[in-house]
Amino acid sequence: MKNTLPQPKSIADAPDCLLPAACCPLMCHLVLGYPSLAESLRTAEAYIAAGCEILELQIPFSHPTADGPLITEACRHAVEKNGVDIEACLDLVAEIRRRHPQQNIVLMSYLNPLFVFGLEKTAEKLLALDIHYLIVPDLPVDSPQAALLGPLQDDNDPIRDDKGLKLIPVLGANISDQRLEKLLASGFDFFYLMSDFKITGATFSLHPRLNAIISRLHAAGARCGIGFGISTPQQAKLAVEACGLAIVGSAFIQARNENRLQKCLSEWQNAFIVES
Amino acid sequence: MQPTSYRHTILQSSGYFGPYGGTYVPEVLLPALENIAKGFDEARQDPAFLAELDHELRHFNGRETPLTPLPRLTTQLGGAQIALKNEGLNHTGAHKINHCIGQALLARRLGKKRIIAETGAGQHGYATAAVCARYGLDCTVYMGRKDYERQRPNVYWMELLGATVVPVEDGAQTLNDAVIAAFKDWVTHPEETYYLLGSAVGPHPYPQMNTFFQKIVGEEIRRQSLDQYGKLPHTMLACVGGGSNAMGMFFDLLDEPNVQLIGVEAGGKGAKPGEHASKLLGGKAGIFEGYHSYFLQENGGNIAATHSVSAGLDYCGVSPILAWLADEKRIQFAAATDAEALAAVQTLARTEGIIPALESAHAFAHAFKLAPNLSPDQLIVVNASGRGEKDLFITMRHFQEESLTAYAKHLLSGQQAAGSGQRSQQSAVDSRQSAVVYGH
Repeated sequence: MKNTLPQPKSIADAPDCLLPAACCPLMCHLVLGYPSLAESLRTAEAYIAAGCEILELQIPFSHPTADGPLITEACRHAVEKNGVDIEACLDLVAEIRRRHPQQNIVLMSYLNPLFVFGLEKTAEKLLALDIHYLIVPDLPVDSPQAALLGPLQDDNDPIRDDKGLKLIPVLGANISDQRLEKLLASGFDFFYLMSDFKITGATFSLHPRLNAIISRLHAAGARCGIGFGISTPQQAKLAVEACGLAIVGSAFIQARNENRLQKCLSEWQNAFIVES
Repeated sequence: MQPTSYRHTILQSSGYFGPYGGTYVPEVLLPALENIAKGFDEARQDPAFLAELDHELRHFNGRETPLTPLPRLTTQLGGAQIALKNEGLNHTGAHKINHCIGQALLARRLGKKRIIAETGAGQHGYATAAVCARYGLDCTVYMGRKDYERQRPNVYWMELLGATVVPVEDGAQTLNDAVIAAFKDWVTHPEETYYLLGSAVGPHPYPQMNTFFQKIVGEEIRRQSLDQYGKLPHTMLACVGGGSNAMGMFFDLLDEPNVQLIGVEAGGKGAKPGEHASKLLGGKAGIFEGYHSYFLQENGGNIAATHSVSAGLDYCGVSPILAWLADEKRIQFAAATDAEALAAVQTLARTEGIIPALESAHAFAHAFKLAPNLSPDQLIVVNASGRGEKDLFITMRHFQEESLTAYAKHLLSGQQAAGSGQRSQQSAVDSRQSAVVYGH
């Protein structure tokens, strides 16, 4: 089965993903339609060429409530200057999928554009594009609206349903043990961990409680990545050592804005290859 | 048929009002919101908490506020009797302090030391700064840069009270951007910070909690109306930005089917997108800033620009409780334009000696249209949710321009004014005349 993302990794497995020269254990983020639809396609190609394991494609929104200045500005540019809407984004995602049928892709969007488009319709479109994971930062993953994207796992059904669309819970270090168990029992198997309490693009630090959370997730066979504030290959390596996957957004947007994305990606790629 | 009781449904809700409301926030904020919801549920059943709240509302805030008859206005409009609920006489000048006292006491009860808040007109920020000073809490207020400039007096008062006021340079630099900045602050300090949200909007429990702390306004109106008029009002009007003063005024009378309730939104410069802030008249269902309600939107779920001469109404969303009550047809909605609100400020000032906030003036503008069509045995109560001193730099500019225009006309007509004293007297008369024109 292609593009069914987690391929659960334990901490012990983590170094393995450093080995293949073509693959960097990175989830690379971009804003669709920034600075233009064509340019964001080029950025996606650059990420894929650099061996990025997972592509995270964000649908731009006028008011991104959890993002820092770079992503906020990118969203605003895409929405206000380019008039990019969800339909245009899905067309672009379809093109990326057509070119790269094997690439792991997750979609990211704030709730309102999906709500207005229709949550059931969103799930249908994404599954048709062989995309199985979705990040919606302002949608608690077990809320009634979330259920419209796909049913949660029934506690009575031991067989995990891999056919539906799954939300990626975005967790901070303040998640309670009880809540974490509830999410695992509901079938969530890919988690986005905030490095610390911050917005995207802030300075990097790793909250001391993350290790315990990661151990629990890995023990349950779930996959996770760390994001928020990763801006150097060294920081990415810390995240990969901790959980197997680093999530990078603002740093690459900044590099693109400064016309040094290719150079930047080579440096990151080299850092992982040399280290292995 | 109305359900068993609107009041019961709202106060017992776990966060949903019909389809609206909910808790749509990042996972990282869920523990803080659950903590507040649980703390609020316990506090409102705790006689000691309620006694302290009552003490503070009386002796710090100065409640109750009067229900003031408006006899000259009643005579001029020729129709229903008009009275106003003078929430402008609250300490710090608006109804906002009712929920600020309640929430600050709750924050202290929950052991929080740091308060953050957003503000539009500055009234909520000013009230938050005052209660934080009184209860010894650290206070940071986010305010859009545009509002920071146009409501400068309140910025000064907040700073004098020891608060840090942060101008938000993002987006349209108004209330919406201040809310987002406050949420971003909270995401980065979820454990030690209490977000003292300033309207009946946002994720659960804020809509319900602020309604609970504001409902004293309607309770007093019920009592005062029976005492002073021997009956309940025929119609009550409140301006609607997020909806805190409207919920405060309307809540206690929701289950009185003969009391007509009207929310008046900001009609701005006109009905074109981006030129007003009328959510219930011009918005559609959406989920944003933590709650499901009506929002002004464009282009596939993006949040649209808003405009109002009053910073406190210049906001894209509205209380999920009001959205539900609008669907239920329990509350009607209307809009008043910038010009109508400005004219209403002047009319009320000159006929009754009360200067209302520009926000509240929207409700008066609609009441002026309504009153002539009702009979003298019917009572209209308008919520003067705030007083107008804070609008100094907006109203002064407007009314002065107005008088300058009138003076220019006066010069062109060949009747040259003799001296400065006479000139200013003449301008005042002309400006009164032009205010009448505006009212139409």
